[in-house]
Amino acid sequence: MSTQPNTAFRTSTKATRAQKRAPWVLLAPFLALFVLTFIIPIISALFQSFTTVDRKGLFGEDGVTGRFAGFDNYVTALNDSGFVASIGRMLLFGIVQVPVMIIACTILALLLESASARWPGFFRAIYFMPYGVPGVIATILWSFLYVPGLSPIVALLQSIGLQPDFLGANSVLWSIANIVTWTYTGYNMLIIVAQLKSIPGEVYEAAKMDGAGPIQVAWRIQIPLIAPALVLTTVFSIIGTLQLFAEPQILSTVAPAIDTEYTPNYAAYTNAFAFNEYGVASAQAVIIALAAFILSFAFLALTNRPPKEERDQRKRAKKDGLEARRALQTRASAVRPVTSQAAPSLQGGSGLHNETKGADA
Amino acid sequence: MTPPSPRPISRRQLLGFGIGAAATGLLAGCAVPGSTNVNKAGVIPAAASGETVQITYWAWLKDLQKVCDVWNAKNPHIQVTANWIPGGNSGGYQKMYSALAAGGGPDIGQVELRQIPEFMLANGLVDLARYGAKDHESKYDEAAWAQVSFVDGVYGIPQDTGPMGFYYQTALLEQAGGEPPATWDEWRELADKVRKTGPQNYLEVFPVADASPFAAYAQQAGARWFKVDGDEWVVDMTDDKTLMVADFFDGCIDDKLVDTSAGAYTPGWYASAASGKIAAVTSASWGDALIESVQGGEGKWKVAKMQTWGDTGYGSSAIGGSTAAVLANAKHPEEALEFITWMTTSKEGIDAMIKYCGIGWSPAVDYIGKQREQPSKWFSGQNYNEEVFVPASKEQNIDWSWSPVTQSAFTSLQNQFRRKLTSGLKLRDAVELAQKEIVQSFKDKGLSVRTAR
Repeated sequence: MSTQPNTAFRTSTKATRAQKRAPWVLLAPFLALFVLTFIIPIISALFQSFTTVDRKGLFGEDGVTGRFAGFDNYVTALNDSGFVASIGRMLLFGIVQVPVMIIACTILALLLESASARWPGFFRAIYFMPYGVPGVIATILWSFLYVPGLSPIVALLQSIGLQPDFLGANSVLWSIANIVTWTYTGYNMLIIVAQLKSIPGEVYEAAKMDGAGPIQVAWRIQIPLIAPALVLTTVFSIIGTLQLFAEPQILSTVAPAIDTEYTPNYAAYTNAFAFNEYGVASAQAVIIALAAFILSFAFLALTNRPPKEERDQRKRAKKDGLEARRALQTRASAVRPVTSQAAPSLQGGSGLHNETKGADA
Repeated sequence: MTPPSPRPISRRQLLGFGIGAAATGLLAGCAVPGSTNVNKAGVIPAAASGETVQITYWAWLKDLQKVCDVWNAKNPHIQVTANWIPGGNSGGYQKMYSALAAGGGPDIGQVELRQIPEFMLANGLVDLARYGAKDHESKYDEAAWAQVSFVDGVYGIPQDTGPMGFYYQTALLEQAGGEPPATWDEWRELADKVRKTGPQNYLEVFPVADASPFAAYAQQAGARWFKVDGDEWVVDMTDDKTLMVADFFDGCIDDKLVDTSAGAYTPGWYASAASGKIAAVTSASWGDALIESVQGGEGKWKVAKMQTWGDTGYGSSAIGGSTAAVLANAKHPEEALEFITWMTTSKEGIDAMIKYCGIGWSPAVDYIGKQREQPSKWFSGQNYNEEVFVPASKEQNIDWSWSPVTQSAFTSLQNQFRRKLTSGLKLRDAVELAQKEIVQSFKDKGLSVRTAR
């Protein structure tokens, strides 16, 4: 570059330095709390997961020493069949509950955003409301609907000759799934509604012009365009599943089938706060985090593949577009007629259309 | 703008903070809380006369301050303040443990009898024998005192206990054609009779998710799960007595004589008891206050002596009970002990504890409390405290003691008992599997341990 813009650059760097400073200043309160309540505990848990304690005497009255334990705590955690089973249980839970919830919230969102929806604001609020009920309270309320002798639902089913057991060894997992679905469907619906609202109106108009009915619109336009939101909510749900804690912990008072290692987080909680085994508890927490990390990444890798192609094609299309524009500019500087050159960019647009169709298939 | 603001945090500084934070985290991880033993340090002398001493007491008893006020009015030089904490494992212990780890905490803390050894493990308790607690031994029930005495020390003063009896609904037993059972075998026959009165009618519940009743029944039969042999713990849960109790309830569950869906005093239990589907409950003396919340139960319930294991074991057993323990960082252990002995043995203290806090059974040998000497209108006009619980408090297994892994022991037992329902595991095998886990938790704590057989 020439020397002339250099001076202009200098002034602009000064401005950007202040600008660079600003976000850190604004972030400072958040970062301080984030470091204090998030980063430090994580580091401390990581460290604790590698330590253990030796005691002398019946109660350690003759001396207590801490020492580095290597991977002993991890071995203990992974040798604990209850803990491993709890991870398996959460996988089963996730495989069933997450799709059910995602499908339910997508349907709710599409219904609310459809042209024929009545009082969408009202229903949006109603569907979202369960999320406002704290998980503990929600579980207590639901437990009253599960416990025989208290529950009107159980009484009703019994009166028609059924013997439902919502808290049995095999059914209680799905009773928990029901509570979780009830709580989070509305929340996930809201994320999808937000994404739906960002779809420009012209797209709908174009679809209408092409003669698409409401189901066609939902299937061919809305669902492909809310895919990112669906991926996001699914990842959140996978992480949330692994962190399941309050619901089983509260329900355990009425459901004998729930033990203290029913979910991975419950197992870690029990080790830390009932047994004072911070080392093993920390190791379990680290394992849970790793599992959530791996699962989320696996899911993202799985879902990212088609959009990646799309992105590549888009890049190509953009490049084409740029080239076309450059060509246009050079020609425009040389000759007047531009209209004839508009055709290729239009073609690029139709190409995009084809891609979304391709993604459907 | 205003004068040059302090330099905002640079990325490098932030990194520095991160590393500093990491270092503090590491240090925090390194320090082993509870590694110093106050009972090896010198005795803290009593305050000079004329000096006013402030004592704090953390407990989950309601209105404890009113009891303290009775004392404070008469003892201007020892002023006690009560602070409410959540009950035991619902947060109270966690709070005390973290206060202890931080080098602080109150002078006195409420600690359950069964939890005393776990607090000792955290080096969290003052040995009160060094402050003359043994002079008061004769004022307390033997069984309760045995549970606070370890390695020649006294680590808490019992403030309430839970001797057991058999609570029952008179009309339901009559309907089944039975009487309060004298032995567990009679109890089983009675359970069978009650089952025949309706498809959902049970004599009692047997909670697989709460091992306290099972432990109490084994204790009654004469089991001793935890013993000390020199510097080593001996776990003995597969003795004949415990296995007899396990087999007994295994049979009761298999024959569907007990309701296993929930424990006593849960919402479902209250509903069943109110609608006459649960006829009785074998429970501790403090169960009376809970049973009084059964809707429409007034005048329908009575209390009988607990059924026994025939020719072995003891007349009664106990569930629950707590102590006022002097915590490790107490500044005035001697004055604290003075207050605790007043609270737990003087007529004034006991009456106040019953009136304001509604404590369980008073462990004082010669006084049960004025209220408890009178018949109860709710319990069909029966004077059940003197009839049932006074003798029950004397017929205890005094050899029983808890261990430093009480919490994990109960959790292991409960998790294995649940498998009775989920996969049909026999209770006898559940106890054996639980024992293996319990031995492992001793080892995880760095303690030496072996099984008795």
